[in-house]
Amino acid sequence: MFKLIQIFWPSFLVAGVAEIVFFTVINPQELYLFGETVHFSSIATYSIGFFGFWLVCAGSSLLTIFFQQTADEVNRTDPS
Amino acid sequence: MEDTLYAVRQKVYPRAVTGRFATWRWILVWATQLLFYGLCWVPWNGRQALLLDVVERKFYIFGWVFWPQDVFFLAILLIISAYSLFFFTAVAGRLWCGYSCPQTVYTEIFMWIEEKIEGNRSQRMKLDQSPMSARKLAIKAAKFGTWGLLSLWTGFTLVGYFTPIHELVHEAATFSFGPWELFWICFYGGFTYLFAGVMREQVCKYMCPYARFQGVMFDPDTLVITYDPERGEPRGPRKKGPDPKSIGKGDCVDCGICVQVCPTGIDIRNGMQYECIGCAACIDACDQVMEKMSYPKGLIRYTTENAMKRHWGRKEIVGHVMRPRILIYAGVLVALCMALVWGLATRSTLRVDVIKDRSTLSREVEGGLIANVYNLQVMNMTEKPRRFALSASGLDGVQVSPSQPFEVDAAGLKSVTIEVAVPPESGKPGSNTVYIEVKALDDETVSVREKTAFLMPR
Repeated sequence: MFKLIQIFWPSFLVAGVAEIVFFTVINPQELYLFGETVHFSSIATYSIGFFGFWLVCAGSSLLTIFFQQTADEVNRTDPS
Repeated sequence: MEDTLYAVRQKVYPRAVTGRFATWRWILVWATQLLFYGLCWVPWNGRQALLLDVVERKFYIFGWVFWPQDVFFLAILLIISAYSLFFFTAVAGRLWCGYSCPQTVYTEIFMWIEEKIEGNRSQRMKLDQSPMSARKLAIKAAKFGTWGLLSLWTGFTLVGYFTPIHELVHEAATFSFGPWELFWICFYGGFTYLFAGVMREQVCKYMCPYARFQGVMFDPDTLVITYDPERGEPRGPRKKGPDPKSIGKGDCVDCGICVQVCPTGIDIRNGMQYECIGCAACIDACDQVMEKMSYPKGLIRYTTENAMKRHWGRKEIVGHVMRPRILIYAGVLVALCMALVWGLATRSTLRVDVIKDRSTLSREVEGGLIANVYNLQVMNMTEKPRRFALSASGLDGVQVSPSQPFEVDAAGLKSVTIEVAVPPESGKPGSNTVYIEVKALDDETVSVREKTAFLMPR
């Protein structure tokens, strides 16, 4: 549980900031998806955008947690 | 003990408290929540007074309409919020946390509901320890149900700032919410429930970034909630009556009520701790005990590190509030607020972007004139339709078409293609400077002059 919060809480905060900055500058109706204009409603684009940011940030947090462990911890080998 | 989330956590059963500071907290609970739950229902100009219309990308705030281009105001507002936090923290510690943070405010409301349904602290502890029974189930269901309804209402209100609330009410009546609206109501409501009902002080202890770094904003002259060990120790229970000194004891009767009322479950008598959110519940509680014992109040009080060390009185403490750090924060804060007010007062209600048409650089038109084509993006930032006239200057004999005024809808954006033409002899070959002016017909003072390049054939 502790690790889940370490992964999902900081990424939630950063995703919120990223969402605000990104969509202040960019109009979702002007985005292109695989060469076609986005046909979702604005609310859907904003929401998907937020969860996209959250997922990417969570990926980064996950790696941070991973690299904080020593090789022995990761491989479950006995250091002694 | 229950093993929740971060650490092994002893569930905290805060005892309800009344008094000066508790009253202040309730005043702020009412003020902030009347604003939050109420403002979405206030009409203005035939629309909602505060509507953050993310679909149209316009924020309606009373008489103002903000566009994405106005992000400057949002930035100033955020800087003001940050400086206010520095200012208040330097003066008197975690005032924000103790009285007006949504986490505190919703926890306060949720605890009030809990107290009304489950009873006081000891009744709640007894209920949690008792085996499951029909009565316990009914009480718990009532509590969780009430919390759930309040959370849903909170989520509904939040979404009501993004989707017009009257549309939302209509959708609720027929249960025809848009999928994302329903999702966000449940998402925000769910987090309200989780944070204020279940996690409570753990949010402050483990999740709040401000709680981690607020220590650096403190200095020895910051007012913080402090237990006076010189006066209180040695602590110990005693009968009411004798002067504590005559029985070799301090003023603290060791009743433990300051610990029982603490929402984060700490003992303030152990000195300053980062878990303390500065709610002052222990001050209210201790003052009541002191009163009962006929001792002077303030065994736990707002005071500063320096005041404790040097035995300052009220006058010296207040005198040290006016120190350079506070004055600098206050000065910056005042300057920023003035900048915001000035910016809002002088904000233009017309905005024009000129984009040169790239497909044809220049061409010859009727009468031997040289013409350039531009695209104008004209934003009318008021809530009434307006007519605008076009003119051009900067080159001799310059003309612009269309020459007729054009109309832009209320809070609308209009794209206008214009043609600027000049006689060939009035400019040098290559790039020349030309000014395009857009002027409102109903208000002479509203006009925008944009500089752009006019290309002459070589």
